[in-house]
Amino acid sequence: MRSQSGLVTGVLFSVVTVYAISFATLSEKLHGTVVAGLLWVALLFSSSASLPRIFLAEEEQGTAELLRMVGRPHAVFWGKSLFNCLQSVVTGILLCVLYLGFTSKSVTVPWLLAVCLIAGCLSLAGAVTLCGAIASQASNRAVLSAAIAVPLLLPLVSLGVSGVRVALGDGAASEGNGAAIGLIGYACATLATGPWIFAAVWKS
Amino acid sequence: MCDVGYWALDLCGGLEKLKTILRTLYVLLMGVAIVWSYTVPDAVGFQKPGMARIFLWHFPCPMLAVFLLMYGAWCAFRMFQSISLSPFQFKAETNYDAKVLWDLRSVAAMEIGYLFCLLTMATGILFSEVQWGAWWSWDPRQTSFLIVLLIYAAYFALRFAYSDGGKRAAFSGAYALATIVPSLFLVFVFPRLPYIKSLSLHPSDSIVGGLIKGQYGQCVCFILALVTVLTVYLFKMRVQVGLLEIGLEKRNGQLENLGNNPAPTGVVRPVYLPKSD
Amino acid sequence: MLKVDRLGKKYGGRWIFRELSFELNTGDRLVILGRNGAGKSTLLRTIAGLTARTEGSVELPEGDSRLTISLCALEQSLYGQLTVAEHLQLTADLRGCPARIDELLLKVNLEYARSKPTSQLSTGMKARLKLAMAIQSNPKALFLDEPGAGLDEEGHILIDQITEEQAERGCLIVATNDPLERRLANLELQLV
Repeated sequence: MRSQSGLVTGVLFSVVTVYAISFATLSEKLHGTVVAGLLWVALLFSSSASLPRIFLAEEEQGTAELLRMVGRPHAVFWGKSLFNCLQSVVTGILLCVLYLGFTSKSVTVPWLLAVCLIAGCLSLAGAVTLCGAIASQASNRAVLSAAIAVPLLLPLVSLGVSGVRVALGDGAASEGNGAAIGLIGYACATLATGPWIFAAVWKS
Repeated sequence: MCDVGYWALDLCGGLEKLKTILRTLYVLLMGVAIVWSYTVPDAVGFQKPGMARIFLWHFPCPMLAVFLLMYGAWCAFRMFQSISLSPFQFKAETNYDAKVLWDLRSVAAMEIGYLFCLLTMATGILFSEVQWGAWWSWDPRQTSFLIVLLIYAAYFALRFAYSDGGKRAAFSGAYALATIVPSLFLVFVFPRLPYIKSLSLHPSDSIVGGLIKGQYGQCVCFILALVTVLTVYLFKMRVQVGLLEIGLEKRNGQLENLGNNPAPTGVVRPVYLPKSD
Repeated sequence: MLKVDRLGKKYGGRWIFRELSFELNTGDRLVILGRNGAGKSTLLRTIAGLTARTEGSVELPEGDSRLTISLCALEQSLYGQLTVAEHLQLTADLRGCPARIDELLLKVNLEYARSKPTSQLSTGMKARLKLAMAIQSNPKALFLDEPGAGLDEEGHILIDQITEEQAERGCLIVATNDPLERRLANLELQLV
């Protein structure tokens, strides 16, 4: 039920954001770079608002202690982050399809768009899940988790924008390839180190 | 025996004198550096070469800010090592002194690093106004360093959010480790991406490309060395202050135990239940 | 089996407890007594490794702590949307031990509620489910925090039965406000 609520909130946030951006830029013919930038800003805020909930809810409802008692930290982190990865990718794809549909922007390199979107969403999910866990025991956990996640995600957004703008027809192919490799590397680094960092603070 | 005592006293006095001489020498060298940075011949390639001298003081700041961020993360890693990276091995020999010391080193590095980060931004903004005509020109280098500043700020926000010392050390240490990849990317990769590089006004290969040479180059190296020495001194002082605070807290705890309000404790003894007939 | 040496916990500049040392062997049942706010629950959680200690050391029974130690506490929450049986399945999956759902539900007398979501259970029923989850892995060290709270007379008999079984298997620590629960123990620790 909690999972459904998170997914529905994420999807609703995407639809509202796409509508708001399209409405605000109604009379403008947008460049690929602007479209890519707006898309990633929407993804960034959608993720940092909804994904940390997965750990914050455990602390708020008092079930975190049960998990600490019976769960292995790696298993708990993977369980939580895989769900967040799924939610992030679904929300990201929906947001992208809706946004490109509303702005009538054509995709020049579809595979690059798909790679950047999926790798970017996986990185977002991994980093935000970890930040949610780090902030989960603070009294101002909801605000704090977003505040500490956003600076870590801004480099990712810059790579995402570089990749998606090339996929939408702006910039050189080599730049897009570099960004895609960077995003895949970021996703691997985040998901590989996340469980270890989480394990170190699991019973603090 | 008595001779040894006098010899030890002499040595201590000698060390104190040596420290005073070194401190005086450092202040003199700093004075030389300030004068030199005003009189050094102009470097080529700047729009207003005379006003570009702030570069001499700007350059060491980001170097040290990034180094201290990485060192802070390393100290956090050593802190986790001193506890136990595997939460299932509840180690009896957990080294609390080592844990506290590494946390202290980590926060000392972060605090001084944050100071250098602020100095980087301040000197960079001055340079931007003089050379590019605007206090803030959304230059990718400026922007990426602003994000590093935000990462530092987030670290301190996290530290302030936890009142319990153990939790504060663990969670902020974890965040320090999580910042390594994004920070390295922001400082070393992002400004060198081809598209970003084409937008940037900031010189990116001044040192690597050998553009800073001659007396200008020597002056940069001299200031970098002096500021590094100052950083080491500040770091040691900060750690010492932290240790004194911890010592004071321990002493307070001991006094508390001796006084009227000792910490709760107890002794295990057998249970005697009244016999019910 | 379980050794606590000079254990201390400080929170917000105040020592909750300090200089606590004891050793429990198989068959030992320790009851921790003290006024409200004396730090009984914190002590239990610190020994169980759920809260970081400030000083001292704790040696727990050897092996994977998910299987060898277990805590049942009054304020422990359950997942409101999951049923009783799903809770037992979840904890078994996370621990990596057999679920023994039928056997445990029969023991705590909750078979009739196996398909009910825990949001619909009474306080006493939740306490029984938490007891079932705590003994699921046959732990060597069992920690009970206010075990009698919310339970009826039959529930208290269940606690006595679980205590006796635990004494055969390993050791037990009970934190309580109720002096009557000294009956469960052969050792006591008064936190003052």
